[in-house]
Parts: sequence; C-alpha cells; structure tokens
Amino acid sequence: MIAPVVEWIAFGVFAFIAVAGALGMTTTMSMFRSGIFLMASFIGVAGLFILLLADLIALLQVMMYIGGMLVMILFMLLFMHDPGGAMMSTHMSLKGPEKWFSLGLARRQTHGKHPHGQHEGDHGGHGDDMPMQDMSMYTAIKRPAAILALLTGALLIALLVWRPHWAVVHALPDQDSPTRIGELLMGKYMIAFEGAGLMILLGIFGAVLVQRPATPPPAPDRDQLKAAIDETPPPIEDDTLEPEVLDLREDEDR
Amino acid sequence: MIVPTYAVVALAGLMTFGFALLGAALWRPRVQTLEVPDSWKQYHFGFATYALIFLAFDMEMIFMYPWAVVFAGIGVKAFLDMLVFIALLGGGIAYAWGMGGLKWE
Amino acid sequence: MGIVWASIATLGVLLAGGLLTWWLEPRLLKAFGSTEPGPAAPLDIRKNPRPSQADPLTYYGAPIIALFGVVWATVCLPWGPALIPADVNIGLFYFIVVVDFVVLAVALGGWGGNTPGSVEACYRIVAQLAAYVVPLGLAIIGPIMMARSLSTVHIVEAQRDAHLWYIAPQLPGFVLYLVTGLMQVYRAPFLEPFAACIDRGVLGACGGWPGVLWRLALAGLLFVVAAMGAVLFLGGYAGPWLPGWLWMLIKTLAVMVLMLWLGHRVRLRGTADMLALAWKFLIPVGLANVLLVGILILLGVGQGPFPLVGSAP
Repeated sequence: MIAPVVEWIAFGVFAFIAVAGALGMTTTMSMFRSGIFLMASFIGVAGLFILLLADLIALLQVMMYIGGMLVMILFMLLFMHDPGGAMMSTHMSLKGPEKWFSLGLARRQTHGKHPHGQHEGDHGGHGDDMPMQDMSMYTAIKRPAAILALLTGALLIALLVWRPHWAVVHALPDQDSPTRIGELLMGKYMIAFEGAGLMILLGIFGAVLVQRPATPPPAPDRDQLKAAIDETPPPIEDDTLEPEVLDLREDEDR
Repeated sequence: MIVPTYAVVALAGLMTFGFALLGAALWRPRVQTLEVPDSWKQYHFGFATYALIFLAFDMEMIFMYPWAVVFAGIGVKAFLDMLVFIALLGGGIAYAWGMGGLKWE
Repeated sequence: MGIVWASIATLGVLLAGGLLTWWLEPRLLKAFGSTEPGPAAPLDIRKNPRPSQADPLTYYGAPIIALFGVVWATVCLPWGPALIPADVNIGLFYFIVVVDFVVLAVALGGWGGNTPGSVEACYRIVAQLAAYVVPLGLAIIGPIMMARSLSTVHIVEAQRDAHLWYIAPQLPGFVLYLVTGLMQVYRAPFLEPFAACIDRGVLGACGGWPGVLWRLALAGLLFVVAAMGAVLFLGGYAGPWLPGWLWMLIKTLAVMVLMLWLGHRVRLRGTADMLALAWKFLIPVGLANVLLVGILILLGVGQGPFPLVGSAP
C-alpha cells in the first residue's frame, strides 16, 4: 500500500493546483489562459476526489471541464477584443500574481500593425485596433474583490478549525462505484434520472433558441453595415466623447 | 484498489514528464524564428449551436455508463427506463435539427 | 505488478506502439495511394521553427499534455489476463476521458503557437471534440452492456466466456467505432486540424524535440484507439495457439489497417461536413444501436455460451 506520506504529498500537489489555478484564473491578462487555469483548478479538485476514492466523480469532473471549458473559451474569444492578453501585458506594468501568471504573453514587437483580413479561413477573423481602456480586464473593483475573497477564505478556514470534531467513519466506501450508481439510478433515483434527461432537453431547447439567428437583413445591406462597423471612424478633434466608445456599442448591437 | 491504480497513472504521468524534459535537455537543435503576425484576435466560429448541444449530450453520456453496467442485470425495467431517456434526447436532436440549429453558420 | 514496474511498462508499451505506428503508417498510406498524410506528416529534422509570437507556456507544454493523454490511455489496455499496467475498474470511461487530453493539448498548442494556421487548428480541434465524443460513447456503450462491466479485462473475459466476439452481434457499433475513431485520431478523412491548407496546424509551428513529442503522441493515439477497438469488438488478447499479447498486437494492427483503409476510400471532409455527419447521422445511428443491443441482451445474446441463447437474466 501507499505510505500516508505519499498521500499527503499528493493532497498537497492537488490542493496547490486547485488554488493556484483559481488564482491564475482571476489574475492573468489572457482570456484563453484564464479558461485554462480554471480547467486546471477543477482538474486539481478531481485529483482530490480520487484521494477520496471517488474515481467516477473525479473522471466525470475532468471530462465535463475539458469539454466545457474548451467550448467556453471559444465563446470568450468571440466576445473579447484582446483574447490573448498580449496588448495588456505589453502595455501595462503588472506586479505580483498578475505578472507571474501573464509571463510570456508580452509581445516583442509593437502592436497595432497586424493587417486586417489576415485570415480568410472558415472563421473570418477580424482584428480590431481597439484602444487599451476598452479591452482591459483591470477594473477598480479588483482590490475590494480580493479583500472580500480573502475574508471569505479566512472565514471558511475558521469554521473548519472551530468545528469541535469530525465524525470519523472507518468503513471503506464501495469501490465498484458504477454498479452502485447504476442500481441507484434505476431504483431509488429513477425520477431524478429521468428528470435530469428532461433538464438536458430543456437545456438543448435553450441553446437552440439563444443561438437561433434573428431574421438577417438582406445581403447587400448587411455588407454595407459590416463595412461601416469594420472601418475605423475618423478622429474627431473637438469632441469630448471618444469615437471608439460609440464604435463598441454598435458592435454589441450587431 | 483505487489508490494503487491511480498511483500507476500518476507515476506514468511523472515519468512521461521526465522523459520529455530529458529529451529537451539532451537534444537542442538551433531554433529558426518564424516571423508571423500576431494571430490572437477576435474570431467567429461556425459551430456555436453544435458546441452548446454537445455540452448537453456530454452530460447525458455520463448517465449512460452506469446504466449500461447494470442493464443486463435488471432487464426490461432498465430497458424501458432508457427508452424514455433516449426518446427525450432524440426529441432534443429533432428539435435542434428542425429549428435549423444543426448547420454551419 | 508493482506500481513502479507497471508505470515503466506503460511507457514502454506506448513507446513501442507509437514508434511502430510512426514507422508503419506512412507506408500504409503510400500503399493506399494517399497524398495527404495529416498527423503522420514526416518530421524534417533540419528545421526547428518557432513562431516569433508564441506563448512559451502553452507552446512547450502542449506536446507533453498530449503525451499524458496517450500514456494514461495505455494504462488500461490489457495484453493478457494479468498483463495490464492497472485494471482500472471504470476502464472505458477512464479511456474516453483521458483521450480528451489530446484535444486539450492541440487546442493549447494551437493557441500558444500563435500562427494563423495553428490558431485555426485550435478552433477545428474543438469542433472535432464536439463531433466525436457523443457517437463514440454510444458505440462503446454496446460492449459495456453485454459485458456488464467498464473494466477492459472483464470485457475481454466476457467475450471469451460467451465464445462470441462482440463484432458479430454489434456490427453497426463496430462500424460506428471505426468512423468515430477516425475522428478521434484525426486521420483522413477527418484531418482538418492537421490539414495542409493551414500548414499542418500545430505540427507546422513545431520542430525539434516538441515536434518529435507531437508525432509520438499522435502516432500513439492511433495505436491506443485501434487497441481499444480490438478489446471492445475483437476479443482483445483472447485467442488460440499464440500468446495473448501477440493476439492483441495482431488485432490492434488489423483494426488500424482497417481504419486507415476505410478512411482513404472516401474524400476528405471539412469540419462542417464532419459535424453534420456526426449529429445528423452517427448519433441517431448510435442511439438506435444502443436500443438494438438492449433488445439482443433481453433475448439473451452474449449472456451465455455461444451459439445459443444462454441463461437470460
């Protein structure tokens, strides 16, 4: 059998992955890395499940989050202007975890000269030369949020320490988990099982409805519209409003 | 049983990692820098509906494994149970297909 | 086997299988008259390109994660009744999950490479994931139902006890496995993430040692998926006269040749075609296959010694 020391080391490693992944998720400048760090965090939790002898749950966690996070990352790339975080990490002075989790993202060359229409692939990418303040993940709320998170963590740990004693059960859990779960699903939890099927069906309905395109305008209009959005508006000298802000709103409306 | 099994998995992973690092340390051919433009941009992807339905079905598959293990032992009841489940999912696919969700945009 | 020896054996099996596939696949492709090697593209040893804008963390980390995926998949492949690195009791589910790491790795490496081709590969690989996971799972469910277990060893033993390879009652499931297996290993006709038109995706952005690791992982992927096909439908290591591991190897190579041959009978498919094929055809077929296998089991097939209906449950 495995010495308890090794189990403790494994626990430490997985707990570290879970915590560091979560920290990386909140502090890195890159949307893509952020999703990957969140996935790493959940995979660390899956390791903890294995130490608790719950292998089916652990693998389920890995499967769901690899698929789920990859899809989620694609949607984030769809909505972010600087998904790689290259511009932010090149032009902002980062410190602490923000610096460490964004290492290697900064560009060697100056940005802003990547040509339009570089990709004419299936996805028709468009690179926007948006100004920095629009794409920043840095917000003023960050510091209060960090303090709140630390306080919550401290409270949870305090509750853990404070609790007088844990009930210790010496019985080992049943290691043939798929059979047990299958029998439970077919017996005691059959309603829940079919209910889950129904919920998934509703989820599919929702996904299709959300994704269903509204009736598109006729093609020529649409091209004009797209051209109007894609071209950078001329700079206005004596206007207090910044033209790029308007540009962003149009983009969202579309 | 579970812990030794996954100890093999973890150790095999560690050895792979060591093997990869060892190779990287031993064989270091000269690097030729490939001058390419920065490609991290906003993209549209054509399979958004597929991706969302995939997530739902991914969840559904998880229910099928425990069910498949006990199926032969339980028999007709399990069969009818799964018939309802499959009908629900088939309904989901039919709905997505009918609404024009299953296409590349 | 001790834990250490089991791990070393896992790595050894993967290295041997991966190198064998790496050597064999280009020759097979040549024999089938293919001009598009896909992930089996040869490694040019004089070139070691590195994109100027790459993100080093994911660019160098990705091939290692891909190797993790295939090495972990090798853990649950049986080569004899006791000749298995670790008999994972939820083996098949485990197999499907760990192979997902290869998809994750290609997405990471594609994005981290930061060339137009490799970023495009990152998108295409996620589309590939969305296409293959569900029908592959439905193909695998059939043998699990008949063998009443997720463990690979139990599935082989169940086929031996019933004197019945599951390819016989579950031919649609086997064909489904071959097709989705081709999607899973990115071989023709589903090699969009490694197509020549995007400069082979991550392979075009890598060379040197990362390039070797990528090729090893992708060759090993074909090997483990073919081996799992042999376990599920062809009785794995069970067979007369020859030792078990040799039977397993022969069946693995047979599945591999069949997959590659089948893949080169049809023209290459784009990502959109592949998704439509998976969702409009393969998944309904898979659901029907599950029902069919269910009916067969209720009739008693595969539950007792062949040829006839044994003890119905």
